[in-house]
Amino acid sequence: MDTGESVRITLRSIRAHKLRSALTVVGVVIGIASVITFATFGASVEAEIVGDIETSNAGNIYVFGTPSGDDDFDRTLQPVFTEHDIQELEGIAGVQAVLPRGIVQTQSVQHGNQTLARQQVTATRPASFTPGVLVEGRSFETDEEAVVVNERMAGSFSENLTAGERLTMTMPDGSERNVTVVGVVNGTRGEVPVSEFARQPRVYVPIDPFYESVVESPSAGVRQRAYPQVTLVVDPREIPETQSAIQTYLTGASDARSLSADDTELVARSGNDFVEEISDVIERITRFVTGIAVIALVVGAIGIANVMLVSVTERTREIGIMKAVGARNRDVMQVFLVEAALLGTIGSLLGVPLGLLVGYGATRYAEVTFSLAPLWMALAVGVGVLVGVVAGLYPAWRAARVDPIDALRHE
Amino acid sequence: MTEGEPLIAVQSVRVAVSESANTTVRVDGVSKQYDLGGTVTALDDVSLDLSAGSYTAVMGPSGSGKSTLLNLIGGLDTPSSGQVVVNGQDVSAASEAERADIRGTEVGFVFQTFNLMPRLSAVENVALPLVFDDWDRARRRERARSLLSEVGLGDRTDHVPSELSGGQRQRVAIARALSTDPALILADEPTGNVDTETGAQILDLFDDLHAAGNTFLLVTHERHVAERAERIVHVEDGHIQSVEDVSGGEH
Repeated sequence: MDTGESVRITLRSIRAHKLRSALTVVGVVIGIASVITFATFGASVEAEIVGDIETSNAGNIYVFGTPSGDDDFDRTLQPVFTEHDIQELEGIAGVQAVLPRGIVQTQSVQHGNQTLARQQVTATRPASFTPGVLVEGRSFETDEEAVVVNERMAGSFSENLTAGERLTMTMPDGSERNVTVVGVVNGTRGEVPVSEFARQPRVYVPIDPFYESVVESPSAGVRQRAYPQVTLVVDPREIPETQSAIQTYLTGASDARSLSADDTELVARSGNDFVEEISDVIERITRFVTGIAVIALVVGAIGIANVMLVSVTERTREIGIMKAVGARNRDVMQVFLVEAALLGTIGSLLGVPLGLLVGYGATRYAEVTFSLAPLWMALAVGVGVLVGVVAGLYPAWRAARVDPIDALRHE
Repeated sequence: MTEGEPLIAVQSVRVAVSESANTTVRVDGVSKQYDLGGTVTALDDVSLDLSAGSYTAVMGPSGSGKSTLLNLIGGLDTPSSGQVVVNGQDVSAASEAERADIRGTEVGFVFQTFNLMPRLSAVENVALPLVFDDWDRARRRERARSLLSEVGLGDRTDHVPSELSGGQRQRVAIARALSTDPALILADEPTGNVDTETGAQILDLFDDLHAAGNTFLLVTHERHVAERAERIVHVEDGHIQSVEDVSGGEH
């Protein structure tokens, strides 16, 4: 029988039971919309975070030590990279800049008559501040009693910090150091890639004269400054080669190797490695949450199956009539499958825009840029139709097997 | 379609038909048992021939097996033993799909309760057998309209059954039965659900259609309805009791 006619018969049947059909469709709409919402939101968050990292950190390689089997970069705070290591790293082909970072302990930071306790103070080189990250002022210079703050730090005081103002840092031994804020930045060159919204308030100081963590360098035989983390800015065209040369140095002759516990792994990771890892994590979360949303879709499918079974029972006599006038079993099956598929399709078509709308609302709420997940959308529509067909299979099969004599007697 | 009996069986049927080309229906030693807890014999070794263009009534009390006979000839059911051949096709040996095709193209049903699709218009109801016979839509509608005019419902084509009177519904059903130009029209108590006057009109329409060359088999328990036919087959307890010739009767 031609599909047009089965669609026509189906539409009449759906129209005859508007409320029932509408409620069934609502079940599918909710299922499809939840899948689309979560998939879209996940894709948006991923695009936002990955976009942040990719734009600022393409040519960065991060060097740190980490306990074996644990790739988590925030457990890396043993100062094992000595000045000797820094010099050796600077000598590797493809390396454009080496930016060591150390942590300076402070009791508090004071501006005007406001004091903030336990602020993060990072010691680094002036090269960390490129014109691209400077919001105002300039970078500090080596040996200067000056600091640079990031925007979150500048905003931490009731009166915003601006370049030229004074800060007082109270050191762990109680001594005070008065410094001038020479610049405000919105990030640093070579910082560990974090997203904008994960950024902490920070004060940056020059290594000289603030950073004092020293160890005896096994190679140089003298006490030198040592840093827990180093970022290398490398030629973006030679990232893989440079990365492997750095890795070779770290695991071979470096001071860091001798100074680290045996189970600590020294790793050189590129920005891309981080991007991949973060994408992977977000994708896994998205898949998990979307998987939960699929439950709603299954419930929708059960709704279709339920309504179709009722429909088969109600229309037993019609099935008998169709069979009496020449319908084969597969014609009867077709009529009911088309009805189920149509309910699924209508549900998908309504569910996709609803899901996108809710997903858009969620991205606005979370303040991330809205990105589409076209694959998930196509999948959701496909699944919606499929759900209808699968849910309709058993009822349609039941319909096809109705005995025409009994059916014609059916009231 | 592809499954079914070996070719030889089909060929033997064709041979049988060519021997008596004038026979539209041949029922040969047909029995039908139902298994309803115990075995119930609805028909027991019944044989009956309907020639092309004939008009036969089957009479009997309820439970006599007359409806079973009609269902077997119409391909709605299969006999437990014996053979039913309709227009050269062995219904008793046909697959389910083949029987569906026979129901659609060789046989037209007219039921006591009309059995129209409630949400389809008159023209769509009449066209329904043509849907399953794979006619295209334009041809279907054209055929259905002309049949509805033939039964006097040319102005009611787009009404759904609930907007039609009982007599009109039965006319739609008759038009539907004619749509595929079947070899045989099977009518099961066609006047059972309408008043006497309307019933008479329906039977008049049958007479006209019979005169136009259609073959009728009509099941009824009313004598005056049965008398419209050329002969009356009396069925009781699953057996044919007698065949009464009433041709050239009062009509």
